[in-house]
Amino acid sequence: MTVTVKTFTSSSEAAAALSSDRNARYLGGGTLVMRALNEGDISISTVVRANDHALTRIDPSGPRITLGAGVTFARILGERDLAFLHAPARSIGGPAVRNMGTVGGNLFAPNPYGDFTVALLALDATVALQGGFGSRDIPIEEFLQSRERQAGTLVMSVSCTRPTRAEAFRYRKIARIKPKGGSVITLAAHLPISGGRIAGARIALGSMAPTQIRARAAERALEGRSLDAATVAAAASAAAEGTSPSDNALGSAWYRREIVGVHLRRLLLGQE
Amino acid sequence: MLELRKDIFADERDDNLKEIGKGTQRQDMLGHVTGTSSYFNDHKLQGMLHLKVVRSTHSHARIRRIDTADAERSAGVRRIIRGSDVPRNLNTLLSLINFGKDDEPSLAVDKVRYKGEPILAIVADSEREAFEAITKVRIDYEPLPAVFDVEDALKAGAPVVNDTYPKNAFIYHDVYDHQKLRFGDADAALATADHVLEQRYQMSPIEHAPTETNGSIAAPDTNGRYVVYTSTQALFFSVDTCAKILDVPSNTFHFIGGTVGGGFGGKVDTLTEPLCILGAMLTGRPVRYVFGREEEMQYGPPRGAERIYIKDGVMRDGRVVARKVRAYFDSGAYTRLSSYAAVKCAAHLPGPYTIPNVYGDVYCVFTNRTPATAMRGFGVTAMDFAIECQMDKLANLVGMDPMEFRILNAYRDGDMKAHRREAKNTALIECVQIAAEKAKWPIRDEFKRASSRKDGGGSRAAIPRTPADAYAATTAPAQQRTTYDRLPTAALHEPPREPPPPAPPSPPSPRPASPSHGAGRFSSVFGTRRR
Repeated sequence: MTVTVKTFTSSSEAAAALSSDRNARYLGGGTLVMRALNEGDISISTVVRANDHALTRIDPSGPRITLGAGVTFARILGERDLAFLHAPARSIGGPAVRNMGTVGGNLFAPNPYGDFTVALLALDATVALQGGFGSRDIPIEEFLQSRERQAGTLVMSVSCTRPTRAEAFRYRKIARIKPKGGSVITLAAHLPISGGRIAGARIALGSMAPTQIRARAAERALEGRSLDAATVAAAASAAAEGTSPSDNALGSAWYRREIVGVHLRRLLLGQE
Repeated sequence: MLELRKDIFADERDDNLKEIGKGTQRQDMLGHVTGTSSYFNDHKLQGMLHLKVVRSTHSHARIRRIDTADAERSAGVRRIIRGSDVPRNLNTLLSLINFGKDDEPSLAVDKVRYKGEPILAIVADSEREAFEAITKVRIDYEPLPAVFDVEDALKAGAPVVNDTYPKNAFIYHDVYDHQKLRFGDADAALATADHVLEQRYQMSPIEHAPTETNGSIAAPDTNGRYVVYTSTQALFFSVDTCAKILDVPSNTFHFIGGTVGGGFGGKVDTLTEPLCILGAMLTGRPVRYVFGREEEMQYGPPRGAERIYIKDGVMRDGRVVARKVRAYFDSGAYTRLSSYAAVKCAAHLPGPYTIPNVYGDVYCVFTNRTPATAMRGFGVTAMDFAIECQMDKLANLVGMDPMEFRILNAYRDGDMKAHRREAKNTALIECVQIAAEKAKWPIRDEFKRASSRKDGGGSRAAIPRTPADAYAATTAPAQQRTTYDRLPTAALHEPPREPPPPAPPSPPSPRPASPSHGAGRFSSVFGTRRR
């Protein structure tokens, strides 16, 4: 059976094509789907594309920013207003992958990829979906938990609130090969401070579970406290709680559990 | 010194080369930077079919049954090739130079010995159809215990990986299960050394990761010949390997290669060409077989992993008096080129140093891992890493500067090397001196004045008394010969022994009166040969 490529001018038609065919896969930048096809993944028989400009729109100004699902990492790096997302965007692949890889595709990237999604998870992003049922917005955490069942839907955009201060959002990817290796673990922290105390702490981890997850125990250790050494130590020691990392060529589950607290402590203390 | 007969070879070599320090354009540069270089995969032939292999999902298993009924009926499938279709389904790469026994099938028949071993080749109209057919093949495996550790593999009762070598070690000259080096009495010297340092070094397999994966395209040509576009980095080696496996004269093939998209040793194994040509022979159509990226990374041969134990004896003044090495090369399930790596490693011991007592045992071991192959200095690179780590640790142990420590122990012209050849054109001292100078690393004047051309030879040229161990005594030199060799004389084989041992850094004793080398040569690969 040959692979059919269907290109639509509207995203709703593309969404309809996706929801009507179990073997259809949406092609954004192709860094995941083309790789799968080249490696002989026969579960894909239809490739769906859309030329809809809505998918590549960036709304970077204002307190709430919106990124079309088809926005590439190279474009994010070209937007001065999105400086807070430059570190996660730069941590993905090499220039060729950043030129093609998209925000929407990153939501589906399996371990050891999907680093940008870790940042979005710490920022409490909202994912706008279009499916056979119409369109709806869901929190990114809920989206990730049901990612395997999202095959028939099309991600339209992702939006999140801009951190009020630059130092409130921190991101770090631990890789063996720099700058473009796969992630051993990836960490992102959003720590809004109100009256000297952390209010609404978010810690997100990549490669610590089948999907990107929040480190809720670490968040609880930070919530309502000032960011001092004792608080950071408490958060670091709770970092691995509730995680379920696995072994791969880049690191063992044991190693990931051992280092996640160390890197969280360094991230929160601003150490190298 | 090599003499070039200029009266005969007047144009053979330009004696007035002045290339060093000048920028010289590579001859293939223009094609590469303009994207016009042609690689094997740039050929799209009319009616070309695509070959993909079914790989073992087990590291070690007996194959009970292979059911291809559904796959045969799958859309676009032209031919399914089994091991029984391969004319000579057992080969070892270095058989072309009579080294080693045939141990590796092109397609596994009764047993698989590593995860990813090819079992069937499917030739179909498109890659997609070949992939679809692969999922319809049913293989009934009976898993067998597997061994992944080199030392475990050598233990009694370990699973037999490769039936050609039932003890899981490559056998040299039909007798020896390892490469052995004995020079002086390392154990005695270790017993009297001021410090002894023993360390273990474990390497990992390293994938060559070429930009262009392994692959080839074979097409029927006129007069029963086949034209083959290939990524091989060893074109004539690949021609002869294919001729052997397919049991046809090598002039059956017209190989076209030359532009290799990254080789580094990972494209000498001739993994795709034999099946590709066989596919073309069986279908009468051009056939293309290219590794996917995951195939290249997972099942393409890597640099083998070595495990190395080094035990050194060093005196307070910094002289290394003994070096005892045990090394295990992980060849994976088949030999490929690791047998040769172990030979190179043994020949390299104890590194570029004059050490009066050297003991080396180097094993080429079979495990249920992906077969290893050549990669940039294989056999030597890992051993050098271990030796140089060891040199730093020893320098630290005796409180010496590591640069000076190396100069002190470096070999010099006229010294006897552990494999009983006189060291010539040595330059380690000068290399260290220049490295120290460039790095602005201070070394003392006496070490700045040292020279590879001074103070070598003399007692350092002596071959110390070497106790033979029981194993060596049982092996007759005749067994080291191959059919190529003339009868050796006893004198040629062993250099004359001098009676009492000049204890390592002892008073000078005269150099052997006549050099034992030159007239007869011992090759680790071929045994003793006369020049």
